[in-house]
Amino acid sequence: MNREKVVFSFFMILALTLNFGFYAGEVDNPNHHNVYELFAVIVVNLIATVLKFGDRSQMGAMLLATSLVALVQLFSASIVWAYVVNIQGNVMTADTMSTIISLSGGAMIANFISVILLIIETSMMRH
Amino acid sequence: MSLVTSLIMRQMRVPIIILIMAYAISILGMVISEGVDDQGNPWHMSFFDAFYFVSYTATTIGFGEIPYTLSNAQRTWALITIYLTVVAWFFSLGKIISLVQDPMFREALKENQFSQQLKRIPDTFVLICGFGETGHALAKALTERNIHTVVIENKDKIIQTLPLEDFSLVIPAIKGDARDPEKLIQAGLQNEKCAAVIAVTASDETNLKIAVTSKLLHPETCVVCRSELEEFESNMFSFGTDFVVNPFDTFANIFAMAMHSPSLHLLYDWLTGVPDADLTNPIYVKEGQWIICGFGRFGNELYKQLLKSNVQVTIIDPSEEKRETFLNRPENKNNSFIIGTGFDAHTLTVAGVTQAVGLVSGTDNDSNNLSIIMTARELNPELFIVARHNKKSNEKLFEATHANLIMQPSEIIARKIRTLLVSPLMIAFLNKARNQDTSWANITISRIVGALGESVPSIWTLHVNEKEARALCQVLHLGRVIRVGNLLQNPRQRENQLEAVPLMLKRKQKLLLMPTNDIAIKSGDQILFCGTPGALRSMQWSQNDIHSLNYIMTYEETHDAFVWRKIQQFIKRNDRRNRPRQKRHIMK
Repeated sequence: MNREKVVFSFFMILALTLNFGFYAGEVDNPNHHNVYELFAVIVVNLIATVLKFGDRSQMGAMLLATSLVALVQLFSASIVWAYVVNIQGNVMTADTMSTIISLSGGAMIANFISVILLIIETSMMRH
Repeated sequence: MSLVTSLIMRQMRVPIIILIMAYAISILGMVISEGVDDQGNPWHMSFFDAFYFVSYTATTIGFGEIPYTLSNAQRTWALITIYLTVVAWFFSLGKIISLVQDPMFREALKENQFSQQLKRIPDTFVLICGFGETGHALAKALTERNIHTVVIENKDKIIQTLPLEDFSLVIPAIKGDARDPEKLIQAGLQNEKCAAVIAVTASDETNLKIAVTSKLLHPETCVVCRSELEEFESNMFSFGTDFVVNPFDTFANIFAMAMHSPSLHLLYDWLTGVPDADLTNPIYVKEGQWIICGFGRFGNELYKQLLKSNVQVTIIDPSEEKRETFLNRPENKNNSFIIGTGFDAHTLTVAGVTQAVGLVSGTDNDSNNLSIIMTARELNPELFIVARHNKKSNEKLFEATHANLIMQPSEIIARKIRTLLVSPLMIAFLNKARNQDTSWANITISRIVGALGESVPSIWTLHVNEKEARALCQVLHLGRVIRVGNLLQNPRQRENQLEAVPLMLKRKQKLLLMPTNDIAIKSGDQILFCGTPGALRSMQWSQNDIHSLNYIMTYEETHDAFVWRKIQQFIKRNDRRNRPRQKRHIMK
């Protein structure tokens, strides 16, 4: 058992599950989407990305790329949130919420690909 | 991704994750803990506010309690934030700094820099293994002639001081043991730009290993080895080492040259010296008895040379064993062997220093050598003194003794290898010149002095081929006659002669010493010249520029109208490019 792999898989899958948790619900209903969950997704995703730093293997490079994509999506979502609520001073509307959710949906696909790559890598090791 | 970046990134993982965690915990806590706004209503920081607050707190900027004065609950969390994040930052920065100072990381960085420098070398290069005195002298001489060099050396200190020195080209240097093939490959042995490998480390064994490795991994490269022991020398030659340079052997030859023909020695000294140095004066050796102090490898080699010229020799050495073997040899019966060190007046007097003409101080200890020279000079100021100089740092001392011939191994080797690499024809020239008599040498010297004046000449070889002498070849292909004398005309002012002297002409395997001006040049010839750097530039001009060549040739061949006309036709044809190609062939 490789401890590095366990830690990375843990964070990767946690990022996916949290991302799903944030994404699930009606797209335009702010009550269905918790800001704490978005915060958690970002932190877990950041850690998963950093864990792939300096990995020279092909799979490591792919995983780094997918995590970076997810991060870009999540950052955009949080910036939209902060811009509308904190800078413009508006209340959260259905419109803004759907933008944020669609961005986090993109991040979820990236995270999903990461997990699939992880599964492929693991199954290849078995053979 | 290069190894260095990957190494940095990998080491950065832990510090960055710790920072992320510290920030995440702090921000979350600030959002959760309840505060009061300016109207007294319960209030929570948004993630945006919390991120802002933690950012300026963690970096110790401290803007204060924004946007409202914090409640006690928030202050409690702010305390935790401060200690958590500031410590996290200190830890991360400390990690980064220690990474930068890590010797392994630094080595990786240096190797990275080395391979970058190696890639940037535009030309072929010479790989010097061992950067001691010899390597240093060689690197200096080669870079001055615009030949790139790469150094591999196992002493850290030398590698560190190398960039501080003033070489005219950048010398990429790598730390490592040259016996390790991996290191040699890393230093560029298998690079196609690697033209020569020079093994000049202090140990014969290492040099042997380098030569074997080089010949196996890059057979086309020229391998030059330094060797001091004969058994290594023959071993090196056995697998095709191109040149093996033995300092004692080389010096013995120089010594023999000085004994037999001072003018020839002078010629050697000029032609192999560093360009632009002042010319030296000839050395004259009187006939008579010689004394050799120290009968090691050096003394032995010189003794052999003295034996050849039937000179009476007295040897002084402390070793009984050497005396036994010496006296057992029949060829030594005329010469005597005295047990002693040679730096006391008594031994020297017994050896007959007052009647001797020459003395060799050839021990491997510089202090002893200096002491021998001083004592001997006091007893007989007229002595011709040959000194063995071992350590470069004693240079000033040996200069002060005014010894007539000084043998400094690293200098001798550097000079020989430089000549081998820069002008291989020069070695052939000197070998051939050795068989000539003194009057030949005198005439040659006066010709050189007459043409160049009183400074050490530059040496160059003219290869008559398409690459190096384009115009010359074009004209030769037309069947025109160009003589050696034509090349010596100044393309700026054809009545003037260039300050250059042709030393030798090589045609296939035939060597011709001092070719006269009326010899016609053929394609494929190699001509060795000595002259001023200015003459070299002018000569390159007339070899490659058809108009300059034309200008020179008109002057020489005005009486031969036919030749000139043909060249003129050729030039015109060349200039008018619209002529069809076939016609050129017909005209040929």
